[in-house]
Amino acid sequence: MGFANVSEWASCMDAGRFHITTFRKQVASAATVANDFVDYTYFAGNPVANFYASSPLEAAHIEANKGIHLRDVGDSQYIKDFCVMTVASSATGTSNQNQRLLLADYLMYYPFVDTDAIGEQQDMVQTVTLPRYATEGGQIMCVAQSAASTVGTFTLSYTNQDGVPGRTTQVTYTKAVSGGGAIVTSNTNSVAGSLPFVGLQAGDKSVLSVESCTFSSPGGGLMAIVIVRPIMHTRATQECRRTTTGNLESYGAATHMEALIHMPINEVKRGAVLGVIGLGNAGSLASSILTGVLTTQWSI
Amino acid sequence: MGFTSIDDLTNQITNNGKSDGFIYQKNFPAAGTAGHWQHLINAAGSPPAATFGGTEATFTATDGTWSEGAVQLGGDVDPATKHLLAAGGSIVAAAGAPWFVYPVDLVGYVKLTTTNVTTTGTKTVTMTPISNTSAKVDRYANGEGLRMFVAAYAAMGANAPTMQITYTNSAGTASRVTTSGCVSTASAASGTILNSGNAANKYGPFLPLQGNDTGVKDIENLIWGGTAHASGSVIIALCRPIVSLPIPVPATGLFNLFDYVNTIPSFPKLPDGCNLQFLVFNTAATTSGGTFYASGQYGWGG
Repeated sequence: MGFANVSEWASCMDAGRFHITTFRKQVASAATVANDFVDYTYFAGNPVANFYASSPLEAAHIEANKGIHLRDVGDSQYIKDFCVMTVASSATGTSNQNQRLLLADYLMYYPFVDTDAIGEQQDMVQTVTLPRYATEGGQIMCVAQSAASTVGTFTLSYTNQDGVPGRTTQVTYTKAVSGGGAIVTSNTNSVAGSLPFVGLQAGDKSVLSVESCTFSSPGGGLMAIVIVRPIMHTRATQECRRTTTGNLESYGAATHMEALIHMPINEVKRGAVLGVIGLGNAGSLASSILTGVLTTQWSI
Repeated sequence: MGFTSIDDLTNQITNNGKSDGFIYQKNFPAAGTAGHWQHLINAAGSPPAATFGGTEATFTATDGTWSEGAVQLGGDVDPATKHLLAAGGSIVAAAGAPWFVYPVDLVGYVKLTTTNVTTTGTKTVTMTPISNTSAKVDRYANGEGLRMFVAAYAAMGANAPTMQITYTNSAGTASRVTTSGCVSTASAASGTILNSGNAANKYGPFLPLQGNDTGVKDIENLIWGGTAHASGSVIIALCRPIVSLPIPVPATGLFNLFDYVNTIPSFPKLPDGCNLQFLVFNTAATTSGGTFYASGQYGWGG
């Protein structure tokens, strides 16, 4: 149940219907490049790293403890505020500045897709279905589970939001990446075409499941196919750091998004596994830290 | 009541003088740990360092007149209510940035020392449940909106036992429990919030309550599991979160101000009896001896 008016929304704090949580994730040391998207859930910190480690090609749900902590309340809770900061990997590092960030509900994944298996249809095993948004579906994100050496090409066969199977994604490229956690997809054969999500067949809005994956040229690695539901966008602007030589200088910024003022009230469904997808803008995100505070509220 | 309009706010401040401010300054008692929350209640500064007196394993209520150190907020204004109009802070420390700061109203604490820390099992707490009277301890009726954390107020010894608090929720239902499996922090410095951290089974800044619970009326016990801390002294703090402040810029002490009238018009409430204290989240390890400054302005109508 949602809120009838601003008064109901504002009363949540007095009524104790709120939850405050922090998160802190540090990108691994493998370099990314400008215009690479990364999946912050893959990296160490709090919550713990989410390596998509389960039986190959079998649909699986992401454990709750891999997501930003939420209370298990009601049908839904709603984001009151979301504040983020990014920490440079060194006193002089600037390459993590100006990141575009997407908070998403991680629904389901198919791990260890072999991006070298050209000409072979890799069939997914539908051991589970979407735990949330079962009829609305989500977007497909391909996350590297290893370094990848070359540019591959693939399509996916999936079931769309109307339950129609046999739909085919756009021909999508994988990029060469230095390690797990990078989102490998691109609509061209270079990083310039990086996309967070795989392009769907014309007319489709989202997917309920992925049936198979077929590579036509090898990508030289492993990837997980992840279905996520985007919730809200924000950004991390200036990196937080302090120089250590010469004239000592400090840099940093926080981005605070408050519902009703800077963004709409965004819903988070019960059981949601929240994670952040980031877009590197100025270079490698390696060893940088993303930290934040999330406050949610719920109605009676 | 608060303010009926911006006109009323302007009138209350400019004609009726119903506005005042506070300042706060603390030196970190020890180096903060990356990914941990830290309280500054026993840190030296203004107000002075608290020592957490009181009886072992017994709830000690605190309010704005707490003799061990409370921020002066100008006394009671009932039936009006005080609201933050603006607040901000800065930290001067060579390392540790960026930080999140969380002002809280400390309603009380339970201190546990010696064998209540160095042995596992259930540590029963003596507490008169929070009620719905005009007493300061009841300023959040039946504990509505209150949260808990477990924090060191002396250096902790080795080992990290699990911790779980049994409590009565604000609806009066007893034997409710915080999330199981939460792990304390081994060898933590004084001030560390032990349930927070940068690993699995860590929750910060507050221990998650059970189910739909919205507050804490009574702390019943703390259960330590696994291998007990080798030494140390802790408090179970019962508090009401007020608002979050980010401090992104390292070292220089650049002041970060939040405006709760225009930028984020939320008017966070400071009830009569509010014992304003601050929690700090260290993204990196904070240097021992760093200094935190805060100030703010509040107003009231009625």
